[in-house]
Amino acid sequence: MTSRQRLLCALERRVPDRLPVTTHHLMPSFLETLPGKPTPLEFFDRFGLDAVCWLNVNAPDPGCGQYFDPDHTPGEYEARRIVTECWRIEAEDVPDRWYRTVRYAIHTPRATLTTVLQSDAYTTWVAERLVKNKSDIDVIAEYMPPLVCDVEAVNRRAASFGERGIVRGTVPGFDVYGQPGCWQDAAVLVGIERLILSVYDDPDWVRRLLAVLEKRKRTWVSSLAGARYDLIELGGGDASSTVISPGIFEEFVAPYDASLIEEAHKAGMRVVYHICGGIMPLLDLLVAMKPDALETFTPSAMGGDADLGAAKKKIGGAVCMIGGFDQVHFFTGVDPERTRAEVRRCFEEAGEGGGYILAPSDHFFEAEIPLLEAYADEARACVYHPAGEG
Amino acid sequence: MEEREIAETLERLAECVERGKADASSLHPVDLRGRDGAEELTRLLLEAGVPPARILDEGLIPGMGRIGEKFREKQVFVPDVLLAARAMHAAMNHLRPFFRSRAIVTRGTFIIGTVFGDLHDIGKKLVAMVVEGSGWDVVDLGVNVEPERFVAEVRSRPGAVVGLSALLTTTMPNMRTTVAVLKETTPCTPVIVGGAPVTPEFAATIGADAYGADPYAAVEFLHRVGGS
Repeated sequence: MTSRQRLLCALERRVPDRLPVTTHHLMPSFLETLPGKPTPLEFFDRFGLDAVCWLNVNAPDPGCGQYFDPDHTPGEYEARRIVTECWRIEAEDVPDRWYRTVRYAIHTPRATLTTVLQSDAYTTWVAERLVKNKSDIDVIAEYMPPLVCDVEAVNRRAASFGERGIVRGTVPGFDVYGQPGCWQDAAVLVGIERLILSVYDDPDWVRRLLAVLEKRKRTWVSSLAGARYDLIELGGGDASSTVISPGIFEEFVAPYDASLIEEAHKAGMRVVYHICGGIMPLLDLLVAMKPDALETFTPSAMGGDADLGAAKKKIGGAVCMIGGFDQVHFFTGVDPERTRAEVRRCFEEAGEGGGYILAPSDHFFEAEIPLLEAYADEARACVYHPAGEG
Repeated sequence: MEEREIAETLERLAECVERGKADASSLHPVDLRGRDGAEELTRLLLEAGVPPARILDEGLIPGMGRIGEKFREKQVFVPDVLLAARAMHAAMNHLRPFFRSRAIVTRGTFIIGTVFGDLHDIGKKLVAMVVEGSGWDVVDLGVNVEPERFVAEVRSRPGAVVGLSALLTTTMPNMRTTVAVLKETTPCTPVIVGGAPVTPEFAATIGADAYGADPYAAVEFLHRVGGS
């Protein structure tokens, strides 16, 4: 099987030739530490992993006054930003003792919204939330431009990527530090604690915000028809059970994201729902949303609660499972044999009958080369028998 | 207010804390809508002459204790603890003056913060709230806290215990730095660490005195090392 065939086979819950093995996003800061500073594809080739091409390309609609923001340089995994004269985004560097600090101002005819991001060598975070007043979401609703996918650009890239692996996109979030899931996007804009308390204090406002975010995402998802994406990512860890309750998930997460999954299916797309953090109490709710795959199955040693074997038994017949590997404890500081044993554990617990892709349970910021080699090599040795036994 | 009524009101206060009913205007929980919440009941008890220490010991601490037990048993989730902590804070606003006048003697001082480079707040805040609800004076230094700031706070509050939080594997090394600085400058200060990627082994490696898997582990540690 080619890597693409193998990954698609697992995504469709069929039995591939052997355990598909890949990673979540590869952090640029990590790749720079490796000899030769490989690109993501070179990294996959170097270690013999099944490759993923992350691709997010949107097309401005000049008829609606949209154009690419000339001042925006997209980061890894980011699409070029699209703005209008009624939604102009200015970035200004702010002096800070420790971190790169950037204040963003979004100018609209009605108000200017601001947010501050900080970053270090590894990651970026929000230091000042964009939604400060409840009425800010009305400004967003009125002026945030809708987005559509550049299908031709996706297909050109997919054609050149060929059988090397799958092409994966992300449901676009807000223009600054946006996130794929409606709840996750809202959590970044408002702050998760405030969002949770607003669920109890002003649930209608939360619903209004989620609906505004869903509307834009839905437009984008609808535009995917004909795009040769193999997988589209939705969700986010702020919807995990380590952050919210199943009750909040059912009322404020599932309806909005499930409707996007339905729309994606209409456009012929497969969807992976990303939920780093607690997942076990949410399994039934997640499967009811009908995604094609679920990730990241974060182990308890990393702050999650995933029991791969129990999850496989409960939902393995309904959804492809991706992740479950503990990258913190088995990509650094251990003997390669322990890394191999962790790969075996994942395969034995979740691999039976196919429908499982081995991957770290989210990003990793550091990894030792012999352990990456052991990870990939052991996974390649996890072959399925012809009868499809794991 | 007669003793029986006081006891009933204290129990209602504990229920309000446990179930996250901050004040009469709180919409949650639905079955308590329109009724007095933790804020009103605390005021009522104080006006009736109930000693503030009794309100803390028989109202707030049991309420936070019950929700904590449920959280530990995985019967409730983070939002339930957030609501409980908010209700407790509504009550504490009335009790804080008595802490200052020493009409209430706390079990000790707990200084907590998320280490520098890390802006994650919610886990650290939960620990702070639960510890405060267990009768400790809590100094929450917030997020992205440099080691020197912890040291300065410890020096101004002799006998305090320190809690460090980190959510990212990339900021765990900053936890190591902070513990090292604390142990060098204030070697007798007990330090507990926690956060999603933190493990008991990591805590031991960096010289912390304890690892807390959840807020209640922090309370147990505090009661062990410094609580009355």
